[in-house]
Amino acid sequence: MNPLLVLDVVRFEVRRSLSPGRLAIWSILVLFPIVLVAALRLLSNRSAENAEAWGMALYFLIPEVVCLLGLLLWATPAVSTEVEGQTWIYLAMRRSGRNLVLIGKYLTAVLWSCSAACVATTVCVIIMGSAGGLQLWVVICVLSLLSCLAHAALYILIGTIFFRRTMVTAVVYTLLVEYGIAFVPAMANRLTINYRLRGLLAEWMNWTAARTVTENIGGQEAAWFHVSVLLATSATLVAVSILRLTWTELPTQQEG
Amino acid sequence: MIQLEKVSKLYGNVIGSNDLTVELGPGAYGIVGPNGSGKTTLINLLTGQLRPTLGKVSVFAQDPWRNRKLLRRIGLCPATDVLYPNVSAYEWVTYQVRLHGLAHADSKRLATESLAQVQMTENMHRPMGEYSLGMRQRTKIAQALAHRPELLILDEPYNGLDPVGRHQMTQLLIELSKQGTSLLFASHVLHEIEEITSSFLLIHGGRLLASGTASEVEQIIADTPQEVVLIGPDVPKLIPHLADQHWVDTIQLLAERTELRVGLRDPSNLYHSVADWISKDQLRIDQFQTANSNLTAVFESLLRHHRGESK
Repeated sequence: MNPLLVLDVVRFEVRRSLSPGRLAIWSILVLFPIVLVAALRLLSNRSAENAEAWGMALYFLIPEVVCLLGLLLWATPAVSTEVEGQTWIYLAMRRSGRNLVLIGKYLTAVLWSCSAACVATTVCVIIMGSAGGLQLWVVICVLSLLSCLAHAALYILIGTIFFRRTMVTAVVYTLLVEYGIAFVPAMANRLTINYRLRGLLAEWMNWTAARTVTENIGGQEAAWFHVSVLLATSATLVAVSILRLTWTELPTQQEG
Repeated sequence: MIQLEKVSKLYGNVIGSNDLTVELGPGAYGIVGPNGSGKTTLINLLTGQLRPTLGKVSVFAQDPWRNRKLLRRIGLCPATDVLYPNVSAYEWVTYQVRLHGLAHADSKRLATESLAQVQMTENMHRPMGEYSLGMRQRTKIAQALAHRPELLILDEPYNGLDPVGRHQMTQLLIELSKQGTSLLFASHVLHEIEEITSSFLLIHGGRLLASGTASEVEQIIADTPQEVVLIGPDVPKLIPHLADQHWVDTIQLLAERTELRVGLRDPSNLYHSVADWISKDQLRIDQFQTANSNLTAVFESLLRHHRGESK
């Protein structure tokens, strides 16, 4: 597969999605954690020295909420909007259309969500002052990127399996698995993406409380292992989505 | 070029295509059938978007479902509309060509040329959200043409085109056909196809009812019982006249007694006689509907022929 073609798909998808509505949603995603952190900064009596509490709040707000909300909006309906809009047939009629478009849409969703997360992180870290710092900024940005890569792959796969009620399925999955099972101290939580991200946060920031929580929930694994699992999971989910899309008969148009 | 061997496609319990067997060489063909007759299912089978439930589909001697590289040789203008509001026709067609793996420069050149072929040069840099239905239709045809396919499949290509646009499109398709591009043109309007080709596939209920030239199809229709409908307050008074005729198969007077359905083999006998009867008896007949003016009726006749009922 020609990577330049994938870049062309990303360019086209970004171009076509540069609409006032999309930019407004992106702005809301950026502003949401900024407003909350600013409000906490003004109203809370937590000292700036309590960096761990501030960092945990920022982690929860950005890689776990902002990234997931963005991806629910941009990755989940990647295929279903084309199917419902009856434009899928135009893409499926191209030699590598199905695969290229899926990967391109996946990367575009990562780009939109991760950019919102990184901009929000930057502003939040500035607002947090001494509780923030360069290390927290780097860690949250990297975790946002990993969160986007893994969750986008997951939502893309859900989108290729459920062409109808895609969003409902993805939201239910997220609530049950990523926000539910991920907190359960059992083997099952190791299958969730958020478990890996929390493990990485604890490892990279070397926070005692976070590390204790992580170890209580799932045990201790090295950072490289978490990153490897996340990247392998992302690649596997995208590959399964491609296979699924290649051999699926999608509705193309009204029968005539 | 195209081979279908006993191809059936089922959507659950619904039959999309029913035991289609046909072999088409290079050339121009019209697929004619009423709405819902299975034209789009056939097109989707030919373009590898659907896998046949039974039978074998072959295009350019390859299975389109398994071999997607084949799509480089096929151009499809689907019946569905396309709308990416803030993207121009030029950007979209270039993108479509690029997805075939052609180089950037070639994609741009081919997109420009195909948009010129459909008279979209002036508007090709405007966002598609500002286009009329006819302009979007031209853009759709341009994307099908742009990569210079050997086989061009058009599903209801005249949708949304004004008479001038239809004429231009007809000339373009005739020109493409002369240049050696094979055409498969699906429509529910017979005369649209007649201007471009005289070879037809008549489809109804997912079945191939007839194929051949216009005169061959007309001969089949002529040999097939057809139904003529007469509407008016005096239609019951025609029954005694009709009952005496050897060329009348069936007479059916509907409950309201204002609609008479006549089944006959050669409607020309009726055309000759009915005017005399109306004039002589001073009858009031408001409507006279023939199979020729109603494509569904033609297909109903062909379906009876297909079932062997005309023998």
